[in-house]
Amino acid sequence: MSSTASGFVNTMARQNRVTLRKTVISCLGLTGALMLAIVLMSLIGSEPLPARASLCALASFGTSACGLSRDQFDILFQIRLPRILLAAAVGGSLATAGAGYQALLRNPLAEPYLLGISNGAAVGTMIALVFFGANEWTRPVLAFTGALLATFAVYRLARGRAGATPERLILAGVIVTTFLSSVIVFVTTLMDATRIRSFTFWLLGDLSGTSKALLPVAITVAVVGTVALTMNARSLNLLMLGERDAFDLGVEVGRVRIVVFVVASLLVGSSVAASGSVGYVGLVVPHLARLSLGSDNRISIPSAALGGALFVIVADTVARTIIAPRELPVGAITALIGAPLFIYLLKRA
Amino acid sequence: MPVSFCETGVGRTFLLLPTLKTATIRRLSLLACALLLSWSACTSTRPVPDGPVRREITDDAGRRVSVPVPVNRVISLAPNLTEIVFAIGAGNRLVGRTSYCDFPAEAKAVAEVGDTLQPSLEKIVALQPQVVLISTASQLEVFTNQLQSQNIAVFVTDPRDLEGVFRTVDQIGRIVGQPQQAELLVQKLRERTQAVEKAVTGKPPVRVFYQVSGEPLYTIGRDAFVTDLIRRAGGISVTADVPGAWPKYSNESALAAKPEAIILPTGGSMGAANASVTEALRQSPAALTGRVYKINDDHLARPGPRSVDGLEAMARALHPEAFK
Repeated sequence: MSSTASGFVNTMARQNRVTLRKTVISCLGLTGALMLAIVLMSLIGSEPLPARASLCALASFGTSACGLSRDQFDILFQIRLPRILLAAAVGGSLATAGAGYQALLRNPLAEPYLLGISNGAAVGTMIALVFFGANEWTRPVLAFTGALLATFAVYRLARGRAGATPERLILAGVIVTTFLSSVIVFVTTLMDATRIRSFTFWLLGDLSGTSKALLPVAITVAVVGTVALTMNARSLNLLMLGERDAFDLGVEVGRVRIVVFVVASLLVGSSVAASGSVGYVGLVVPHLARLSLGSDNRISIPSAALGGALFVIVADTVARTIIAPRELPVGAITALIGAPLFIYLLKRA
Repeated sequence: MPVSFCETGVGRTFLLLPTLKTATIRRLSLLACALLLSWSACTSTRPVPDGPVRREITDDAGRRVSVPVPVNRVISLAPNLTEIVFAIGAGNRLVGRTSYCDFPAEAKAVAEVGDTLQPSLEKIVALQPQVVLISTASQLEVFTNQLQSQNIAVFVTDPRDLEGVFRTVDQIGRIVGQPQQAELLVQKLRERTQAVEKAVTGKPPVRVFYQVSGEPLYTIGRDAFVTDLIRRAGGISVTADVPGAWPKYSNESALAAKPEAIILPTGGSMGAANASVTEALRQSPAALTGRVYKINDDHLARPGPRSVDGLEAMARALHPEAFK
């Protein structure tokens, strides 16, 4: 091998090591922050819990009550911790899905809500609630189906002669979102007054209904989805050059597109089925990850997942304590934090 | 012999006219005008502006509403108001109701004008009501202005407690011209209420959690009508001091409240919904001792005559020994 060729290979190898190191460091750091957040936020809630006893009980993973009363123990392990874990799963899922869409579609505004995917999942969940109310497994399944159908609708609409340009994509997304919103409103008006109130709350993002059976599903989907997308991160990096060029460089564009769409629909479907539409996470968190850690998807996708988990955990803590003992929908808080943050990001870019 | 005009009395008056002073002429002509006008008013063919007698009543929003007397065409835009109208024997005067107004059975024969939140203005106007009864629970302030611009009297009711319900029955009785029936109904309802309150006096109030819906968890707050009913039934709502009427409640706080009894409003127009206790309360003293009571939602959510049915049902559930 000539010296320039081997020099080139060495540079690439070093680059990869640097990237790997950066990935590991940022992921470890974020994971640490996430663990800390889980512990700290489980000490906060509408009912005061003794801090030391709670920390001791958490450290023992629930095997020892450490002096907490029966009720306090139940509050900590049956209500708060599951809710925080669900918040992490939902935040991670939505942020990863957002990162995936932004990378694949080369569009900084691509995120589950703006593209209508969240609404598709919400319609699926509504159908599950109305027609198969008793069986709670139908919710994530139909939500996933709804998300997938919405994805195909948007992609089909956006594809013109020049391919899915960013403008066409956002337009298609807005069309699908508003159409599905109307469907949701229509179904809502058929409900009676009491259900309208609780359903509207759920639509805005509600993490309070933690089903014991569906929580492991949400966590598994979040982890599996993030891993699946990270494995395709290199292809996504090359796709940044454009579909034609990426194809020439050996990327199986069609396969990557299907993987991203299916995985993202899974992620969005499981989140929406569990907690309604939590907006802005898929938009703001991937941007933050890219701004601080660079555009390499191998770093930014897992970082977005962890960052999204952190973001929603904090937002949900605010939602469930700020007007205690009453609650706000978490989607309201993510919007209040996310929108100004997004404006700030726009100004910096 | 022909007497000249000038020699007759009238003639002489005419001859005298020029000799009268101006002031006198002015006074005379004014008098003549006045007499002419009043005569024409009495016998004019132009109809007097039609003024049916109108009565002014103050509604629960503090507005002075002018209603005609008698009232023969009423529209009710809330299920509880429909029940009140029928209960005081004025059901035959109801010409419009919402799709939720399903009690009594005779109400179903009345024309529908939409639902409580979005009634059809066109349908209401087409039915030519004289008065429209609305409940503030329906958030119809904007709607009220539109109706008033069509010269339809709008009467707002807002009973916050049982006394408020009695007052609403009285007010509606006066509006439709059945004050005696209304008074009779209120008297009977009061007697039943007092019987319940007497039966539970002296008994320690039972701590109650009222579950409006399970997931998400909604309950009643300070301003809810049912909070008063629970108090009269010998209970105390654990959420009685939470601001608002229907707050979304924290699962933790519900668990920590440790209610002794849980009331599930279900059935009636609600169907089979809300028939089980929410997850967070499955280990509460109420659930563990089996003190979970399902009561017809229509008796509790509609401030009207059947609220006393709800009151009695709750009292029997909370203090069974007092009603043996």
